[in-house]
Amino acid sequence: MRKAAILALLLALAPLCNAHAADPQPFERGSWAKLRAAHEGQPTIVHLWGLTCAPCLTELPEWAKLEKERPDMRLVLLAADPVPQPPARVEEMLTRTGLGKTESWSFADRFNERLRFEIDPAWSGELPRTLMIDREGKVTTLSGVADLAEVKAWLDRQAKR
Amino acid sequence: MRLFFTLLATLMLAGTAAAQHHNHGKPSAAPEAFTATPAFGPDGTLWLVRATADKIVVVKSTDLGKTFSEPVAVTPEPMNLDWGPDARARIAVDPKGGLIVTFAIFQDKNFNGRAFFARSKDNGASFTPPRPITADKTSQRFETVAVDPSSGRVFATWLDKRNGAKARASGRAYPGAALAYAWEDGDASFGKTEIALDNTCECCRLGVAFAGPGRPAIVFRNIFPGSVRDHAVVTFKDATTPGPLRRVSADDWKIEACPHHGPTIAIAPDGSYHVAWFTDAPSRKGLFYARADNGNVPFGAPRALSSPNRQPARPYLLSDGQALHLVWKEFDGTKSVVRWQVSRDSGRQWTEARTIAETSDASDHPLLVAYGGHAYLSWLTKIEGYRLIPLENQP
Repeated sequence: MRKAAILALLLALAPLCNAHAADPQPFERGSWAKLRAAHEGQPTIVHLWGLTCAPCLTELPEWAKLEKERPDMRLVLLAADPVPQPPARVEEMLTRTGLGKTESWSFADRFNERLRFEIDPAWSGELPRTLMIDREGKVTTLSGVADLAEVKAWLDRQAKR
Repeated sequence: MRLFFTLLATLMLAGTAAAQHHNHGKPSAAPEAFTATPAFGPDGTLWLVRATADKIVVVKSTDLGKTFSEPVAVTPEPMNLDWGPDARARIAVDPKGGLIVTFAIFQDKNFNGRAFFARSKDNGASFTPPRPITADKTSQRFETVAVDPSSGRVFATWLDKRNGAKARASGRAYPGAALAYAWEDGDASFGKTEIALDNTCECCRLGVAFAGPGRPAIVFRNIFPGSVRDHAVVTFKDATTPGPLRRVSADDWKIEACPHHGPTIAIAPDGSYHVAWFTDAPSRKGLFYARADNGNVPFGAPRALSSPNRQPARPYLLSDGQALHLVWKEFDGTKSVVRWQVSRDSGRQWTEARTIAETSDASDHPLLVAYGGHAYLSWLTKIEGYRLIPLENQP
């Protein structure tokens, strides 16, 4: 009886733990290297957006559509607001947009100069921004709202290689 | 039963650890303003307005920033302060030593703002309850006050969304915001709000300087046709007549977003205009400076202040009566540094840029302030706190 109670409790608490794993991961100093290492050798698209960036919020649903259309796309979302936003609000926005299950990170350090420098020293912080990273680690940057035709063409090229 | 509690404790600890991990860098707390803005009083007192969490306070220093008084609250109740990266509470001192503080709050999750002001007539011992700068409630942000040196009258300008709301209600497109202004009407309120210009960029700070008695000059990021967000100056012909728009530079930065990166202006005693700004156009990236001999001629060729891969940002210009000072922030890979240049010939020639302060964590914009012919860097950083750094003469 006691064991059953423990098991029931464990089962009840398990989803709570998993919910944490789905939150945006805090993007801190050194996170960029970890993110890159985790996807090394795999064509990956890192989309930089922000809760405080109106055009980003308009664009997000397009990424949700593309993700459904292209299961071959490894997509990582990074909320790069200059003033860090509450992770719960980042997650809420992504879930509402249909991107709740996509790997997601969120700037968690007010020293955003440092975070931006690690990603790209020449990036002055403008959003949205999309980084397409091929198998060899070569980065193709799309500044502003991404032309999805260009993204699809890039994905097609990766599939052929 | 012991096993039960052990398991429960382990689970709870794991949950707490995960929550703490997420709290690192305070991202789960509400975003906060992190600014300190200075102004010197006529007696050499340094006044500083600080925005932290949900309140605005004023402190003063009579020893050039070495020690400060206990903070005096400007906001009696907690308020949802505008924490935008280009927003700040400001303070100005009139010639009689009266203080005026301005700041904005967010009214909603869509970053609609409301701009307030508060006055002190008792040398900063207390402030009047904050009152809105304008009656319209649509949205005001980036409120900036400046005291007309000739009359002591306070001029306020801000970015206002009222015309955008009206246009959308009648089915018309309205990019950006409007440049609004009002003059203080006595000490208790601002007079009628006027719109100087429609369709400016909506989330970049403004710069104000005086071209003559009753004649403010405002620099701002405008929206030129095709969503080109370059800079312009409007100089008033008289207190209620904004002059024509004068473009500072044709960078042709076409962007459908807001850069959160506003300009700075100074007008020297010889009437020359000096502007510095940030752009990320394909052909011109980074920080730039340009000058014009007076208010009626075009600005000269832009001069780059830094390399674009050093994240040059947040320029600030000041004329202290004898010299022009220019500072900005750069990032060197580990530290943010403040670079400084000075010109003693109306901005034609400048000294080599020199690093005058640095920090290895988050920081506010570098600002300049002058008293008695001496200019100072005013900089709030997370590690070092607030610093007032004298800009010594260079050989």
